Amino acid sequence: MARFLTEAIGTLSDAGSLFVVAAGLTLVFGAMRVINLAHGSFYMYGAFLVTTIAGTSSGLRFWVALGLAAVVVALLGAVVQLGVVRFVVGKEPLTQLVATFAVLYILADIGLHLWGSGARSVNAPLAVSGTFTLAGAYLPVYDLVIIGLAILVGVVLWLLLSHTSLGWMIRAAVDDPELLQAGGVNLRRLHLGVFAAGALLAALAGAVVTPQISVAPGMDQSIIVSSLLVVVIGGLGSIVGTAFAALIIGIADTVGTLVDPTWASTFMYFAVIIVLVVRPWGLFGTPER
Amino acid sequence: MEVTGKKWRRARAYVTAMTVAALAATAGTALSGSAGASSGGTVTIGESTTLSGSIAELGQTGLQGIQLAVSDLNAHGGLLGKKIQVVSADDAATPATGASNARNFILNDHAVAMFGPIVSSVAAAEEPVVTQYKVPIFFYISNDVDLLTKDYTPYAFQVVPNTVMEPRAAADYLAHQVGKKQITIGTFAPNYSFGTSTVAGFIQALKDLHVNFKVVNQQFPPLEATNIAPYLSALVAAHPQYVFNAQFGGDLVTFSKQATQYGFFKHTKVIAMYSRFPLQSLGAHAPAGAIGFDRAPFWAAGSTGMNGAGLTAFISAFKAKYGSYPSAWAIMGYSAVQTWAFGVKKAGTFDGTKVSAALSGATVPTIRGPLNLRACDHQANVPEYVGTVASANNAKYHLRLWNSVFVAQPKDIMLTFAQSLKLRG
Amino acid sequence: MTTLPAADLLAAGRDAGGSPWAGRLRRAALPLAFFVAVLVLGLTMAPANVLELQYAVSLALFAVATNLMLGFGGLVSFGQGVFYGVGAYTVSLGWMHQSLSFSEAMILAPFLGAALAVPLGMIALRTRRLYFALLTLALSQLAYVIAENQTNFTGGTNGVFGAMVPSWLLVPRNSFLLTLAIVTVSLAILWKVLHSPFGLVLRGIRDNRERVEALGVNVYAHELAAFVISGFFCAVAGTLFVVYSQSSYPEIVDWTASGIPVFMAVIGGMYTFFGPVVGAFVYEFANHYLIEYTQDWQLVIGVVLLAIVLLRPDGLAGSLSAIGERWRRRRDRVPAGPPPAPLPPEGGAS
Repeated sequence: MARFLTEAIGTLSDAGSLFVVAAGLTLVFGAMRVINLAHGSFYMYGAFLVTTIAGTSSGLRFWVALGLAAVVVALLGAVVQLGVVRFVVGKEPLTQLVATFAVLYILADIGLHLWGSGARSVNAPLAVSGTFTLAGAYLPVYDLVIIGLAILVGVVLWLLLSHTSLGWMIRAAVDDPELLQAGGVNLRRLHLGVFAAGALLAALAGAVVTPQISVAPGMDQSIIVSSLLVVVIGGLGSIVGTAFAALIIGIADTVGTLVDPTWASTFMYFAVIIVLVVRPWGLFGTPER
Repeated sequence: MEVTGKKWRRARAYVTAMTVAALAATAGTALSGSAGASSGGTVTIGESTTLSGSIAELGQTGLQGIQLAVSDLNAHGGLLGKKIQVVSADDAATPATGASNARNFILNDHAVAMFGPIVSSVAAAEEPVVTQYKVPIFFYISNDVDLLTKDYTPYAFQVVPNTVMEPRAAADYLAHQVGKKQITIGTFAPNYSFGTSTVAGFIQALKDLHVNFKVVNQQFPPLEATNIAPYLSALVAAHPQYVFNAQFGGDLVTFSKQATQYGFFKHTKVIAMYSRFPLQSLGAHAPAGAIGFDRAPFWAAGSTGMNGAGLTAFISAFKAKYGSYPSAWAIMGYSAVQTWAFGVKKAGTFDGTKVSAALSGATVPTIRGPLNLRACDHQANVPEYVGTVASANNAKYHLRLWNSVFVAQPKDIMLTFAQSLKLRG
Repeated sequence: MTTLPAADLLAAGRDAGGSPWAGRLRRAALPLAFFVAVLVLGLTMAPANVLELQYAVSLALFAVATNLMLGFGGLVSFGQGVFYGVGAYTVSLGWMHQSLSFSEAMILAPFLGAALAVPLGMIALRTRRLYFALLTLALSQLAYVIAENQTNFTGGTNGVFGAMVPSWLLVPRNSFLLTLAIVTVSLAILWKVLHSPFGLVLRGIRDNRERVEALGVNVYAHELAAFVISGFFCAVAGTLFVVYSQSSYPEIVDWTASGIPVFMAVIGGMYTFFGPVVGAFVYEFANHYLIEYTQDWQLVIGVVLLAIVLLRPDGLAGSLSAIGERWRRRRDRVPAGPPPAPLPPEGGAS
């Protein structure tokens, strides 16, 4: 039991942070039909900004850093949207992928200038850095923070998208933009807002995991691969699908390490392949036009 | 959820560090001017190592040791009348980049000797290059036993305890602590040749010492993984009493901090490379009671293998110049340059083949004491140091260090000649 | 394979124009001049530079083979590194496990690449457009983690380094000539393929899938064939990587490595046969040159890619032909007409 709990909490915490990043990616796709590879950069910038702002503090300053990093990256997201992404909305997938990959490269280079090539780390605030026991298992309190954030993000997004007019507008932005604009909605502003929100989610995820990882260049590329797997399995544009898919990837990873460590890291790719062979548009996605 | 470790490294930073001693401009040159007048000029040595990422501390302080050694040599007139300069580059812990750096140094900068990388996989990739161009290479951090056995080349020398010697020393220390008691063991090591080789060496050593043990979990996260959570939770869930961890540098720091969040150190004794940098980074969070091992800890000065002429002068010069006590990597880097210089003087030339031949079987005076590079495989007879992480700062150095130092003597941990040849196959 | 293309498809292909021989000669002139220039450079440069040129030549094949799908089939694959890796690893593992001689491995590798492309293509081509791009990206990463973790078979993270090529190939000029010969033959075959009825159908599918489908053409089979042919020649390019570097390692198959030929095609111009060749040379020499002088390689390549996809989606080749067009107009004193279409019809050499 103790063993199961240790693995389960670890899996949930990993799936949780992955969900928050991927939710941002899929939110942007849902509103704009753009896959943004530079989403990984937002995640990395979120993490690095926390190391800069929080420093070695183990207190309140960490939480301030968390919020501040997310806001700064949301602004950066707005800049990227205005400078690049708005020109590729409605273009071929290749154009979108190459353009946003170019942004990933550019931001990676700027990141090297800002934070150097070494690894950084921060401490979790003392209040949440300890251990709690459950059924004989010793578990990190901080995992609960990450899981809690993921649940919060999931619930808020779900409410926003399915119970408010904003959600309707986001769906209409793709299905029927003319109608939307005829109704007086500024499509450009909507895209800007959604893109910034997507960047904010990526940064939030990057920021919240900082006490558990070493923050280093290269995080941008590794997280974008995992989050692409998640949104593809879930079905591009579906928040519910993303939540399921993040769990699938998390579980595939954990089961992998238990079954055979040398094959562990392949499990999530096989999960993607199996899902796409059965449903070429993902679990909750819709077939492409 | 780590997918790839180091993709950004495609930007192979090509950093060139010129280290022609500043002292040359001072009165020293004027006095010794006549000595080197006939030959003059400079000669280049190359240091390709990891200068970025979570293990960069090893590369950076190792390079400092090399540079200090070179400026000391230059202050005494250089070698064979020539000043020495160091070119260095970041290999980003990637074998291909290391091999390409080595090729660049040799072809474009005309480097006459190479000084080793951190990572054994990179070292293995550089071996065919130095062999092709007949340039000696000195491994002072990378220590996979394969480098001098399976991948043997007459141009490679290792002045660091290898992946048989190091875990043997740790196993020996552990065996004394546990006696006949049955214990459970987990292992945690970076997923490349050094990691697997060191873990295999540790398990083999426990068997040889007749320790009553059972391996309950083994994890091999990628080197420089940003997120080790999935691997760590699997290890924690298995509840081992002892964990042999072959991570180093920033990776070990991350492991220690993360494991603390699981309350891991309360119930599990970790055996790992708690050397100067991890201990200093962890500070008060350093896991007291854990077993540390190190290849050349400055605080062991005075014991076997840490008692050569000039060691204390080196330690204070290093501290004065770089603001901290030298890491093992700096001490070993310094002695690696001394080794090469000895070979050059003995051979009377910079020619790689002649220098390598002159060093084979030679005994070289270094700041660590005399090092014998045995003729059969060019492994230096160096000891390994083991100790228990202290719970309070060391009174002399004001750092969290070890309670005491146990020196595993080279003769007890080295492979025999025959064993080494057998591994070469 | 399938029914021959309908007559109107043939007609849709570009008319060779004028006398066939003059047209053919005009088309061949530039590639021929380029080939001679590369050959002369390779025979006269210093050994270190010859190696660099040789690498660029091998990448040109990788880029053209990738562009067979990208520019001609409209299939965005971020997974061609898989087949490049099959090529490289066949040679290096054949050496490491002492199971294949160098020449056996060189011959076997492309067929292994093609054979692997059959099942992977069957899976990947079930998906469309963006899903296809992302699934091939996942396949590339899968190949990467397998190469990284199956240490006993692949050498793992360490990769495979060693004396895996015959000693005569260690002489830069020899390995350059071998590479140039293999690449030239491969490109000639690819040219033939793309200018056959099959190539026309492929372009038809790219431009108007529904219409081609309505004509009774088996689109899936054509796309699969393109995937397999591309896999074959990507593997050839992979073997040439070993000739260049005497090594193979996991990073050559990951998704960013798979992205490189795509970027080369985009830079050079993906709607022409030789555009990717230009892209490969520009990319590789810029990379090599910039890394020596600046640490901001990623910034430079990022800005260049961005500028091209936003401003000139037809790449350098497109820009060049636009300049050539303008020059010809001026020479013929024809007043400037409308600007060239953003997607120029497939034409001859860049």
